[in-house]
Amino acid sequence: MKSLEADVVVIGGGSTGVGVVRDAAMRGYRAVLLERADLGQGTTARFHGLLHSGGRYVVSDPQSATECAEENAIVKRIQADAVEATGGFFVVTPGDDPGFADKFLAGAAATGVPAREIPVAEALRREPLLNPGILRAIEVEDGSVDGWQLVWGAARSAQAYGAEVLTYHKVVGIEREGDRVSAVLARDVKKGEDVRIDCGFVLNCAGPWAGQVAAFAGLHDVNVVAGRGIMVAMNHRLVNTVINRCVYPTDGDILVPVHTVSIIGTTDVKEDDPDVLAIPRAEVQQMLDAGEKLVPTFRNARALHAWAGARPLIKDDRVAATDTRHMSRGMAVLDHASRDGLKGMLTIGGGKLTTYRLMAEHIVDAMCDQLGDTERKCRTADEPVPGSESRKLYQVTHRLAEVEEERLTDPVICECELLRRSVLVKTMKEQPNATLDDIRRQTRLGMGPCQGGFCSTRAAGIAVAEKVVDAERATGLLRLFLKNRWIGLWPILAGDQVRQTALDHWIIQGIYDVEHLPQPEQEVVL
Amino acid sequence: MIDVVVIGLGPAGLSAALKLAESGRTVKLVAKGEGGFQLSQGTVDILGYSPERVTSPLAAISGLPGGHPYVGIGADKVRDAVLWLRDTVGDELLVGDLAENYVLPTAVGAMRPTALAQPSMVAAHQASSYAVVGVRQLKDFPAELLAGNLGCQVAWVDLPARKEVDSSAHMFARAMDDPGYARRFASAVAAVAPKGAVLLLPAILGVKPGTWRRISDQLGRPIAEVPMQPPSVPGIRLHDALLAKFKAAGGRVIIGSRVVGCKTAGGRVASVTVAVAGGPRDLRASDFVFAPGGFASGAITVDSRGKISEPLFGLPLTQTDANAVVGPDYWAPHPLFEVGVETDDAGRAKYDNLYLAGDIIAGAERWREKSGEGIAVATAVRAAESIMGGRA
Repeated sequence: MKSLEADVVVIGGGSTGVGVVRDAAMRGYRAVLLERADLGQGTTARFHGLLHSGGRYVVSDPQSATECAEENAIVKRIQADAVEATGGFFVVTPGDDPGFADKFLAGAAATGVPAREIPVAEALRREPLLNPGILRAIEVEDGSVDGWQLVWGAARSAQAYGAEVLTYHKVVGIEREGDRVSAVLARDVKKGEDVRIDCGFVLNCAGPWAGQVAAFAGLHDVNVVAGRGIMVAMNHRLVNTVINRCVYPTDGDILVPVHTVSIIGTTDVKEDDPDVLAIPRAEVQQMLDAGEKLVPTFRNARALHAWAGARPLIKDDRVAATDTRHMSRGMAVLDHASRDGLKGMLTIGGGKLTTYRLMAEHIVDAMCDQLGDTERKCRTADEPVPGSESRKLYQVTHRLAEVEEERLTDPVICECELLRRSVLVKTMKEQPNATLDDIRRQTRLGMGPCQGGFCSTRAAGIAVAEKVVDAERATGLLRLFLKNRWIGLWPILAGDQVRQTALDHWIIQGIYDVEHLPQPEQEVVL
Repeated sequence: MIDVVVIGLGPAGLSAALKLAESGRTVKLVAKGEGGFQLSQGTVDILGYSPERVTSPLAAISGLPGGHPYVGIGADKVRDAVLWLRDTVGDELLVGDLAENYVLPTAVGAMRPTALAQPSMVAAHQASSYAVVGVRQLKDFPAELLAGNLGCQVAWVDLPARKEVDSSAHMFARAMDDPGYARRFASAVAAVAPKGAVLLLPAILGVKPGTWRRISDQLGRPIAEVPMQPPSVPGIRLHDALLAKFKAAGGRVIIGSRVVGCKTAGGRVASVTVAVAGGPRDLRASDFVFAPGGFASGAITVDSRGKISEPLFGLPLTQTDANAVVGPDYWAPHPLFEVGVETDDAGRAKYDNLYLAGDIIAGAERWREKSGEGIAVATAVRAAESIMGGRA
């Protein structure tokens, strides 16, 4: 068994966890983050990619609105490479209550969310595919954010301050000495090795899995409700501005341009098990209908991929447990010392990606209070994370510029996402244990229209050529990648994506006969 | 006056068109794209898996379930059709006697069965050992993965097709048709090639059929081309050969134009409307061969609600709801891709003079069972013979 020592162990590698480990490390704590899979794989990046302006909450949740507006500015400052400043519109579509826009404007003024009504003609000029029947349009400062880029940026910042970030480390136990937490036991699932981390504090940031983590410490009544939402990515940017329906929050009320695609979201259905999230074809239809309200040609566009994420909502008795939307989306910190008599452990729930840094500040503040370290102040709001030092915001044309620059020296491996070989190889060498999906989350390999049909075998070949893995593992990784892509493909299979899928099957099965490659005794799963 | 309009430029359309033109019919071939050969592995499959690997493809036809396109045709006619194709393009392009499938390595290192193959490939069949040489500037040939899965040695040559690092297989093949480049390539390969009974090279050895032999002769050892993802150089060779023969037999071709409509009367197709430059144009003919491909070409469509249809003639399909035939298991059969049109024994559907060939016909997931070219050619020959028989 491997042994480590830390002041604080952070459990969960979503935005909350990486925000917390960065904050703690910047305050001088020796911090270790444990994530059972890849960073941002659980909930964080299973979203529509929106960096909230706060507009969504100006009527329903004023405190969230103000926090979003403030954190929006901070994230753009410290993680510029993950954010595209697309701007956003709130539009009143035909049949919606035009009066809501007045409440919206009043709410925006009261909460400090920048917003101004613009003429419908101007909105249509800037977004020509927008429903020409819209009645009003309000401009806000929404952006789009790459969830993986965001968590990896924060994680690298934490590492620069001495933190250890251990992915594919599953917590298997939390030990206590008397009334204090004393150690966390984890299993490195890639190496099959046990790890023990002696620590003085545990911060449970496991999102929908926070109840399971709390149970390792003997705390069995931390109830986290998983609110499942599905998202559908369309194959290009139908809009270049975030389009929100100007209504009280409902299903399918937002269309976000992210990288080369646009994403419609989302639904909200209570689920018992955050590890089993369906993408029902009926809900996909609901998203396409919602898209039609915003962009009337929506159903003619091509759905590329769908996914589901689970919002973690700490159970609140004031609302019915089946109605997760109207539970508080604010953050909640559970202090297990006062609540359960266990010192040295806090659980955080709720919140949203846009305010991840603020959530981290709150929970680390709470830890400092308990430790009596009140002089250690939060410093996360100003310093850019590694990769964002230039403070230049992401632009969708970045990769095209780089490809043009390197076209004579660096082949493009994934044409859809303009991923160059050198970038792919660098990422593979940094993480030799990674799956192709881990690589995908950081490089966008296989996320475009072909969904891996052309690039997956190239990537598997490069992994062997660069001696990152042997042919047997590369074959297993290729099979795993194709299988995983299918999870998000079959629920949306329609239109030109059927044609693409036919071509992909033609290549992968017809030409390469991948299903009859020499198979390892067990399929690669990690 | 046109006797037959053939829609589609893949193995099915080209075979039907050529067969009809050689019988003296006036044939016009219309296609939107370049056809399926350029997407294929450039060999002729009859049946590779059913679902276990098939050794003798013609013998295995009798074991296929009803509804499979081969069942109404029978092994003898499948054999005759495929041998007709082989003899038509000649042994410069296709070899094999159909007794047993060849088993040839794919670019990722799977051993893939096929009925007829190009002479540049067949040395890889039952070789005692292999070696692999890749090309640095060709990203579609994962040489180490191939070599690793075959358990053999691998080496690379560094030889751009032109001044770039990212050339397609087609670009390399065109360069290879220049004897100077082919000589440099063979010299570079000879300098690094590891030991092994058969040297596997990417399928880039010339767009022209004979180029590979010059390289083989210079190397002085058995070599085999390994097919890759599109654009398929071996496929383009077959396409070019059949198209040239069709033109030589007097056939006329409209490429790059979509067939957008049809006029029908009395249970027959009177004409099809082609969107050519300058506006739509009606092509009248006595008979029509519909070989437009299937899902991959867009000849069968699925709308955003899952309704499957064949939009041009509105042909009846074996299934019209995609929601009922897609599922979560990637490795399981995909019944969506078996959906198509059922024909009568003459190959007709819906109209008395509309004959179907190729992927539009229901009943087989071709990529899974490795049967695409065999079905295409057998149904094309059936269509042609039905037309010729009916008007003899």
